[in-house]
Amino acid sequence: MNQVSTPSFAPAPEPEQAAPGPAMRVARASLILVGAAALVWGVWVMFDTVRIARLPGVALWVGAAIVVHDAVIAPVLFFAGVLLRRAGRRLAGTVIAVLQGAIVLGSIMTLIVVPAIVAQTQGRAPQNPTVLPLDYGTNLAVFWVVIAVLATAASAVLYARSRRAEGRRSAVGPSAEP
Amino acid sequence: MYEAQRSLASPARNPRMATVIGRLLGAAFLICFGTGLYSHFLQQPLPGMRFATRPEFLYQFTEGTHIIAGMACFPLLLAKLYIVFPDLFAYPPVRSFVHLLERASIALFVGASLAQITIGLLNTYQWYPWPFPFRQVHFALAWVLIGSLALHIGIKLPIIARFWRKRADYGPGTDHLTDAVPVERVAGTEADRLWGSSRPTGLTGRLIAYLDATPPAAEKVSRRGFLATVGVAVAAVVGLTAGQTFAPLDAVNVFGPRKKGVGQQGVPVNRTAKQANVTEAVIAGWMLTVAHGGVERSFTRAELERMPQTEVTLPIACVEGWSQMAAWRGVRLRDLADLVGAGEDTSFRLVSLEPRGSFRQTQMGPEYVRDPLTLVALELNGETLDLEHGYPARMIAPGRPGVLQTKWLSRIEAITA
Repeated sequence: MNQVSTPSFAPAPEPEQAAPGPAMRVARASLILVGAAALVWGVWVMFDTVRIARLPGVALWVGAAIVVHDAVIAPVLFFAGVLLRRAGRRLAGTVIAVLQGAIVLGSIMTLIVVPAIVAQTQGRAPQNPTVLPLDYGTNLAVFWVVIAVLATAASAVLYARSRRAEGRRSAVGPSAEP
Repeated sequence: MYEAQRSLASPARNPRMATVIGRLLGAAFLICFGTGLYSHFLQQPLPGMRFATRPEFLYQFTEGTHIIAGMACFPLLLAKLYIVFPDLFAYPPVRSFVHLLERASIALFVGASLAQITIGLLNTYQWYPWPFPFRQVHFALAWVLIGSLALHIGIKLPIIARFWRKRADYGPGTDHLTDAVPVERVAGTEADRLWGSSRPTGLTGRLIAYLDATPPAAEKVSRRGFLATVGVAVAAVVGLTAGQTFAPLDAVNVFGPRKKGVGQQGVPVNRTAKQANVTEAVIAGWMLTVAHGGVERSFTRAELERMPQTEVTLPIACVEGWSQMAAWRGVRLRDLADLVGAGEDTSFRLVSLEPRGSFRQTQMGPEYVRDPLTLVALELNGETLDLEHGYPARMIAPGRPGVLQTKWLSRIEAITA
């Protein structure tokens, strides 16, 4: 696991770069102090305005948000990316990027709109016809169709272009491309 | 495991991208925080606070911006988490006590951010499937969030400074995982150390071999594709919902929780008469009482209609982010205040007929009371005010949240200090 112990985000030692100046140290210290103070203030406000019995619910939602992202959304995205790259090993990178983008775009919109569809029968919306008045299910389906059509069209153009480029390369000969 | 790590690597996962997306997300958080605080203090002013009443659409603008920036946070936050996701598997998990604190603060930051935008989104369509009060928790979490943001920037400042500007070469040790680790060198020895042979067998082995054989993503294309996806996603979630407040986008408002023009008399309703338990029986024999010191005067609707009428065009702008321009007609509040001898500096308490509700009683500072656009409205869009919009009379003032535009108004009393 050696390679993982040097995460790419850790500041790497750089001999050619001077040690952080006093301005940097002051800026960091003030940001950290102000940040910690605001954070503590927020927690205090929470305890001050929300009944103690309700606080475990808040902790549950904050914790569940992490779990849902780290254990569901991120792995699904990861395996979707692997599958797509596997399935598209013969496709140009641009085509894969377009398809990936289309799927991610549709998924994010779905993530935002599906709760609205659920809420049409939950909460206060059923008592108030001016809340959630649209047909969100149909609109979401249309949205998916539109991005599918656009992504397919873009992929077709990019695919044709990459095939033409390949044709030119093979016409020049194998030495042209390492 | 290493192969899985390598598969997690992506050209889009690098500190420069984290800085680029982080800046946008940080800006969105700050906009949400600033507009949120403004809305909070309008509803719960500290003693002596006064607010601007112009431009008339001020609150429509700030609260619309609050929700729009909040919507933009969904793709931006997911993108930011995608970029830094491999850091979750940093090894060793904890290097020191300070490192533990740092990781704990990141966890809190991530959890609070995700929870905050989620409950905010659900609040825009009045769905509360959680066991805590929304307003208080949203406010407290905002402080936790903004504190965590400052803390995070402070901790990462050297990296942020280094990657702030686009450069051809950021120096060694800054590439993404695939480049940082020569595959041939590590893969063999790591596999040997971990499994005693170069390859594990069985299901795990097959899965790893499968992942290992996956072609890596092309770098430049992958990075540009990532940025383009984030940009299009932000444009889509904002563009297809912002029409609920931003009129030019009304035609493409297909996912907004409200639609302009949908509601009685062409105006959406935040709380219906039924929800507020205001019935015909409750408003029977209605009189509006205006009180100051010992003076108290009551007006029937007919008496109010005989007073000088003013017409104004003001938006009703809700804390939930929607807004709707409308034409209102009624009596200037300052005329009523003058009738009971209230001075220029008098604040008023507005009381609704609704039996209960957190905004049954609200306060109005003198800057709104004396404003020529502030009305006790009797008509909306050329018709007698609908019961859903507060018949027999409601408040309408420039630049205030909808919850403070008291409906079913029954009593206006001066607050004596």
